[in-house]
Amino acid sequence: MGLLNFTRDPVPEAVSGDMQSLNQLSAQQFSALTEVLFRFLTEPKEVERFLTQLSDFATMNKISLGPLKNIVKSILLVPNGALKRNLSSEQVRADFIALGLSEEKASYFAEQWKANSPTLTRLAVGQTLMINQLIDMEWKFGVTAGSSELEKVGSIFLQLKLVIKKGSQTENVYMELTLPQFYSFLHEMERVKASLESFS
Amino acid sequence: MAAARDGEFAALQSLLKAPSRDAVRQLCQECFSSPPAGLGLLAQRACPGLAADPEKAEQLVSALHNLTRHVVYHGLTRAEDILSLFPENFHQNLKNLLTKIILENISAWRNEAQASQISLPQLVDMDWRVDIKTSSDSISRMAVPTCLLQLKIKEDVALCGNSPVVSALIVELSKETLDTMLEGLGRIRDQLSAVANK
Repeated sequence: MGLLNFTRDPVPEAVSGDMQSLNQLSAQQFSALTEVLFRFLTEPKEVERFLTQLSDFATMNKISLGPLKNIVKSILLVPNGALKRNLSSEQVRADFIALGLSEEKASYFAEQWKANSPTLTRLAVGQTLMINQLIDMEWKFGVTAGSSELEKVGSIFLQLKLVIKKGSQTENVYMELTLPQFYSFLHEMERVKASLESFS
Repeated sequence: MAAARDGEFAALQSLLKAPSRDAVRQLCQECFSSPPAGLGLLAQRACPGLAADPEKAEQLVSALHNLTRHVVYHGLTRAEDILSLFPENFHQNLKNLLTKIILENISAWRNEAQASQISLPQLVDMDWRVDIKTSSDSISRMAVPTCLLQLKIKEDVALCGNSPVVSALIVELSKETLDTMLEGLGRIRDQLSAVANK
């Protein structure tokens, strides 16, 4: 089969058979199937919807669902590997051709890949490990009117609640800042923003 | 309140036996700073010479504590206000000395009271670093900047006393999160200046 771009491991036997089945589809059917696939890839949480759309496709085109699912599994190998390895649309096209898909269909898929790759890349980056990710921040500020030691105070306080994702749970962290601390915190965060922007 | 404190003022007369003005000054400061629970210890330590018996020592220390705290609580800043607290027949020189000592210390004591009031955990320090993520299991080549922020938070002073517990929390922020956070902080700053300008 020659060297593939999207994977270094040997490809399962069934794949070439599945590619031949795909070649049997009309251009219209292939484009409809491709659309269903990319909708799933760009919204990977919508599994229910994906399965419903697949079964609708199977019914409409008089294909049995079981074999269709296997075909879809084979096709998905390529975009998943391509995403991990930052492949170009040329490489994706070449891989499909090497697997046995017709040139016309391979080019079509590669074009759809190119169109969707910014979204897909952003999704992959978003899945990258983050440590104690900050999810939300709530704040309130007010004036301390008095205390058990001082009848009249009149000092400003700022309270922050940070919601942090620790593994699969969220943790709330509460803290209080004085006014000078707030201004210095704001100043530091603006410096961070400038730094992040210079690297983007 | 004044009536209840006549007995206390009597106890203050023990200060006349103090070796020096500085000794009185020292005792006033210690009595203010000590929490009510610590006064017993202070009485034992500070008064072998000033009071005839431990009971008198405790009364003296407690009277000083209450007097200084009363002044700080009500925010009395004028000599006349403090002098008027003392009963008519109180020793004149001692009254003037105590008033003078209190006036000298009042702003430091106010700051001390404010610093030790109850609050949520306090932010004491923050450090940050910007990393560039170059690779991960989901995508082998990328250049995504991210910020790591370390916040040092000190638990409530009143709970920990002399050994405050400081915990360090590291939080990761993406560029989008940081932008949203800065938006929020900017709104706080705008509201603060609106309040300040009123």
